Amino acid sequence: MLKVSKLESGYGEMQVLWGVDLEVKEKSITTVLGPNGAGKSTTLKAIFGIISPWNGMVEYFGEDVTKTPPHKKVEMGITMVPEGRHLFPNMTVEDNLLMGAYLSRAEEKFEDSLELVYTLFPRLKEREEQKAGTLSGGEQQMLAIGRALMTSPNLILMDEPSQGLAPKLVKEVFETIYKLKEEGLTILLVEQNVFSSLDISDYAYVLHEGKIAFGGSVDEIKESEDIKKAYLGV
Amino acid sequence: MIAEQLAANIIYGLLLGGVYGLATMGLSLIFGVLRVVNVGHGAFIMVGAFTAFWMFTLYSIPPLASIVVAVIVGLAMGFVVFMTIIRRLLDAPELSTLLATFGIGVFIEELSKFFWGPDYVGYSWDIGGISLPFTELPFTKLYAFGSSIVIAALLYVWFSRTKLGKAIRAVVEDKEGAMVCGINVNMVYALSFAIGIALTVTSGVLVTLFTPVGINVYMGGDYTLKAFVIAVLGGLGSPWGAFYAGFIFGLLENGSYTLLGLIPGVEPFGLTRFVSFTALLLILLLKPTGLLGGE
Ligand SMILES: Nc1ncnc2c1ncn2[C@@H]1O[C@H](COP(=O)(O)OP(=O)(O)OP(=O)(O)O)[C@@H](O)[C@H]1O
Ligand SMILES: [Mg+2]
Repeated sequence: MLKVSKLESGYGEMQVLWGVDLEVKEKSITTVLGPNGAGKSTTLKAIFGIISPWNGMVEYFGEDVTKTPPHKKVEMGITMVPEGRHLFPNMTVEDNLLMGAYLSRAEEKFEDSLELVYTLFPRLKEREEQKAGTLSGGEQQMLAIGRALMTSPNLILMDEPSQGLAPKLVKEVFETIYKLKEEGLTILLVEQNVFSSLDISDYAYVLHEGKIAFGGSVDEIKESEDIKKAYLGV
Repeated sequence: MIAEQLAANIIYGLLLGGVYGLATMGLSLIFGVLRVVNVGHGAFIMVGAFTAFWMFTLYSIPPLASIVVAVIVGLAMGFVVFMTIIRRLLDAPELSTLLATFGIGVFIEELSKFFWGPDYVGYSWDIGGISLPFTELPFTKLYAFGSSIVIAALLYVWFSRTKLGKAIRAVVEDKEGAMVCGINVNMVYALSFAIGIALTVTSGVLVTLFTPVGINVYMGGDYTLKAFVIAVLGGLGSPWGAFYAGFIFGLLENGSYTLLGLIPGVEPFGLTRFVSFTALLLILLLKPTGLLGGE
């Protein structure tokens, strides 16, 4: 579904990605692991188009989308749950979700998407009228995922959705991601939470200093003590 | 006698304040959305003033009807300036944007001088007024005030009700968040800049209803200065804050004019500006986010 080859990118003069190769299969969860500063967020941003790829290629269902701007990607069914959530803090929960359904593609499925979001996160329904900025960390994360779902996506790029959450909420977030897969969605997940993410993933990559150091099935990573020791610190 | 003069000036201050507010909304909108400070702001007010002048002089079109022309001229100018210059500066250091918008202002002024000459011009649109016990209120000023209120209200409704209006708010609140929703951020920038310039040019039309003989290609500088004070008062980046702050500024300016006139040997006109800017300094000392700004 998504194929990234030899992707290079960075900020200003500073190169961060030095040829990232990875592939995401339809209706799977693929996780990218790696230490702080490895370039995980940068990879997602370059795939989505928040920063421009310098070199290499991003393909979506065989189509070259390397230079496609973010709003066109959303139109094609790709969206992102960015690191740090990036909600609209002075808008209500409801308006945040409404903004997720901004494009006509999403507007058509508005009712269904909203029902899915409120079924997954009943708390958001209770807090419909509350400003997003006043939600708790966990609720904000739910809203960020909910807003992404409102775009009616096929592929969601998720950047550390469990970051800063209490253990109980972390578990809930991973369960939700698994449910999304069962709903037929495809997820490219970036995480530092090695065990929880491997538990729900089908494939995993290890990113190290802007390059893929390992890629394969989850079982392969779990069995390889070397990989775990060398790159994941576990 | 003094009380009457003060009352009259307070009313004029309020009326003019409404136009000041509108004249600043564009500046604040552009800063709020694009984080670009338009130092050439006043030049667009001047273009609006000349729009009113030429429409009236050449075609006898009353200034209120010229508002439509000003909106179209403003949208077109804003769009062209955005596409040719501003778009390239969005990621540039602040100094580049300041110099560029300053340059745009100078360019517009000099081009206008080339076509329209350096002289002061004016027109007279006499449609009577209302007699109050202490002053005569011309309808032109009431219309200018009313137009400001109507335009600001329409803009408010557009922002809070329409999809595009909400998209602009979303970009202001969080650019990356807007991107993941599928909002075309560059389009929002272009649109906001064009609307900001259209508001500014329109306010230039209304300004001429207060000083119909003060139309000159360099008239903008004074308004740029006032607009910056008002924008800061209103909490930079908030068009609505700017609109309210316009009233405060108008009142301050006209109120102090009367009171200063009472002091023997004082020339009130020059000192008025001093008082307005001192008030600005004081407010900023006490509340650095602007009088109406958030924390
Ligand atoms: N906006 C930016 N401007 C400049 N440099 C940046 C920017 N964002 C990230 N970097 C740098 O790029 C490198 C990779 O950052 P990135 O955010 O991709 O890492 P990460 O793997 O997501 O780390 P983390 O686990 O801490 O989120 C880091 O050295 C970081 O300092
Ligand atoms: Mg990161």
